[in-house]
Amino acid sequence: MTSPTRRRWHRAAIPLGLVLLLFAVTGVTYALEHPDPREPGFLSPVNADSDGGSRLAQALTARGVDVRRERHTPDALQTAAEAPSTLLVPAPTLVHPDYLTMLSRLPATSRVVLVDPPARVLDRGGVPLEPTGRRWAARPVGPETAGQPCPLPEAAAAGVAAALRQRYAVRSGASPTVGRCYDSGLIGLRWSLTELVVIGASDPFRNDRLDEHGNTTLATGLLGTRSRVVWLDLDGPEPPPDTPQQPVTEPEAPAPPEGGDEEPYPDERGGSGGPGGPADRPDEGSASQADNPLRDAFPSWFWALLAMLGFALLIIALWRARRLAPPVAEPLPVTVRSAETVLGRGRLYRRARARGPAADILRGAALARVLPLLDLPADSPPEHVATAVAVQTGQPPEAVRELLYGATPDDDAALLRLARDLAALPHAVSAPRATRGTPPTPYDATEQGGDR
Amino acid sequence: MLTWRAAALLGLGALTLPLWPSPWPAVALLTAAVLALSALDWALAAPLHAVSVHRDGDRTVRLGAAATVTLHVRNGSTRRLRGVLRDAWVPSAGAAPPYAHELHVAPGATERVVTALTPTRRGDRPAVRLSLRSAGPLGLAFRQRAGRPAAPAWTLRVLPRFESRRLLPEKTARLRVLDGALVTRGRGQGTEFDTLREYVVGDDVRSIDWRASARRRDVLVRTWRPERDRRVLCVLDTGRTSAVRIGDEPRLDAAMDAALLLAALASRAGDRVDLLAVDTAVRAAVSGAGRQVLLTRLVNALAPLQPTLVETDFELVVGEVLRRERKRALVVLFTALEPGALGEGLLPVLPRLAARHRVVVAAVHDPVLTRLTATAPARAEDAYAAAAAWRALAERDRVRAALTRHGVEVVDAPADRFASDVTDAYLRLKTLGRL
Repeated sequence: MTSPTRRRWHRAAIPLGLVLLLFAVTGVTYALEHPDPREPGFLSPVNADSDGGSRLAQALTARGVDVRRERHTPDALQTAAEAPSTLLVPAPTLVHPDYLTMLSRLPATSRVVLVDPPARVLDRGGVPLEPTGRRWAARPVGPETAGQPCPLPEAAAAGVAAALRQRYAVRSGASPTVGRCYDSGLIGLRWSLTELVVIGASDPFRNDRLDEHGNTTLATGLLGTRSRVVWLDLDGPEPPPDTPQQPVTEPEAPAPPEGGDEEPYPDERGGSGGPGGPADRPDEGSASQADNPLRDAFPSWFWALLAMLGFALLIIALWRARRLAPPVAEPLPVTVRSAETVLGRGRLYRRARARGPAADILRGAALARVLPLLDLPADSPPEHVATAVAVQTGQPPEAVRELLYGATPDDDAALLRLARDLAALPHAVSAPRATRGTPPTPYDATEQGGDR
Repeated sequence: MLTWRAAALLGLGALTLPLWPSPWPAVALLTAAVLALSALDWALAAPLHAVSVHRDGDRTVRLGAAATVTLHVRNGSTRRLRGVLRDAWVPSAGAAPPYAHELHVAPGATERVVTALTPTRRGDRPAVRLSLRSAGPLGLAFRQRAGRPAAPAWTLRVLPRFESRRLLPEKTARLRVLDGALVTRGRGQGTEFDTLREYVVGDDVRSIDWRASARRRDVLVRTWRPERDRRVLCVLDTGRTSAVRIGDEPRLDAAMDAALLLAALASRAGDRVDLLAVDTAVRAAVSGAGRQVLLTRLVNALAPLQPTLVETDFELVVGEVLRRERKRALVVLFTALEPGALGEGLLPVLPRLAARHRVVVAAVHDPVLTRLTATAPARAEDAYAAAAAWRALAERDRVRAALTRHGVEVVDAPADRFASDVTDAYLRLKTLGRL
């Protein structure tokens, strides 16, 4: 009864569930496998894992470039200022915002490479760029952008590389002298004094992807233009620059107590920020209490109006909640569906596959109806009955005998066939063929009792 | 309690806030003003304790017909009563919308609130509660309190439908044929001697009373009339088998219908009709009712009967019948031909009953069984269901045969013919003079 609907339900749910499962598995795998820039060791020159940068550092050293690994931004700035060098920042989110502007003040001979900087970093660093479209994964593309050749010679030499993940565009009303490469996945521009290269994908630098396409050529080309590479390898969010020197000498414990890796630098204007926020700046905290920007954004009558409307809503809610009368309950009469036990027994037969008992009952019922029509007693031998029925209906006697006294049906289809044939039998017997020539039976027509 | 009007007033006041020099004191002022106005309005609403209510209207209605019950709301206070009144009945009483009635009653006046009821079920349908909401003149606040004014108790008794009434004229006509001066009157045992009259050509010569003819100089024949002043007892089984739905009503309702038709006919035939409804206890009993009030008493006794999910105690049934009917009577037992209920309950005690009374067992036939066995199965589950149905029919036939062995007549008919077949059985017994 319910099986068609259930099957229909399955038909819709199973493919949909498979697709959802595929999505879920893919998403979980992606989240687990995709490297996180905030993890310690991400693109580190000493990390030989798949998300490290040790092979790139070796390739650079092999090219004769001096690779310097620095653990703190002030040190990196100092080292980069000593000689013409390339400053690689693999995780710009970890750099404290106050250092970002300092990066732009490096000498003009320097180059700064930012890997996948988010909008916040670009904004605070004064870079006239903004992220536009972000892809789900890095895609290998040619160095051209909208048909224009790439102005960076090292990128043009690399050819196809997996450099397109985050696209960047020039912020509205900013300097036009930018070089776009890899379909805007790589931007080269002059950033106050120094040269800045922003690349939206970390893949060309990573150990596991370095060999693919022209990634090696692109990475070594971008970093090998100067004789020195200063590799800023940060383990976690940096402390602000005006704190005492203690975190700098103790580099292993700069992380905030809790919630620090979610938001490395809470907004200083939010006086009631996270518990790991800048609790050591009481002057800013008290100032932020006085002027709440949300409260200042609207006139005070607006808040008063809001409060009054809220009160009116409360009255409406109370008015609606007071019902005129509770619902009236009454006992319902007992309901027993007709033939409930009969139908239930039929289902039990079916579940137990009781084809034998069911066929016996059906045959017995058919015999009890057919025998009085043929004037045969209830205990007639099967041969007599089969012959009499066969003569009356014109069917072969073996078939009739098989129908009335045959074997147990093997499956439901056979039982259904049997039931249909038995249901048709009394009609066939009572309305015989035109050639009615039944031999008179030698038996007395006795009363058919109600036992069957 | 405040209404939406108070909230709207507050909202309107809120819209004037930009015009005020300092908004927050204005909020306090406006809110206080609205609350004060609402409190005044509440105080001016008509008091609930001064309102008195009484009902009149229909007490009984036949199932399927509509009844009206009127509430008279008297405002005994000196203030005008404005508000809404909800007259809550049980859902099966079928109270027509509106959900609540608007009321405007002047001081000292009385307003009528009419509730139209179309009950959906047989039995007693009570009015449950009354709630009155008295609003102030501005409609800002209202008074409402549970149980005030007190709801006047009222119960509408919904009588059985008695659809087989339409068969009564036909059955009465057959009774009259039986009763008339026709030769068809039987001479069997038990028929009563009526009168002597002169022989006319065509009379049965065996009816000639020679002794009386010898006394007179004319040939006289005896005339017979059907037995009168016999007793008929309808016993309704209200146990679990009576709860089974035949069509869309329980088996008990079909039994009631047949019992009412039988009672109406038997009382016209001059027999005394009693009624008993039993499961594990006597649920209803009518005995010794005069002919005029019989049907009224019967429907009133039957109306509140409901099937209960218990096994009927046939020991109790037989004991009650034997206790109530000392003389020989026709006992019509309305039940179901079910081997479990009858085979184990009735058959052991049936000889005691059948020894003293004439017993008819009447059962409504389940149309589902007929459908299952008469149509060729279309699916495999139909074949299994057909086997189960044939088995049920065979069991029923066994019960029937066992009952017949005790001299009990069995009436097994589908619901639409049931009442007719039961009365036919009665008429047949009456014709044969075997009551």
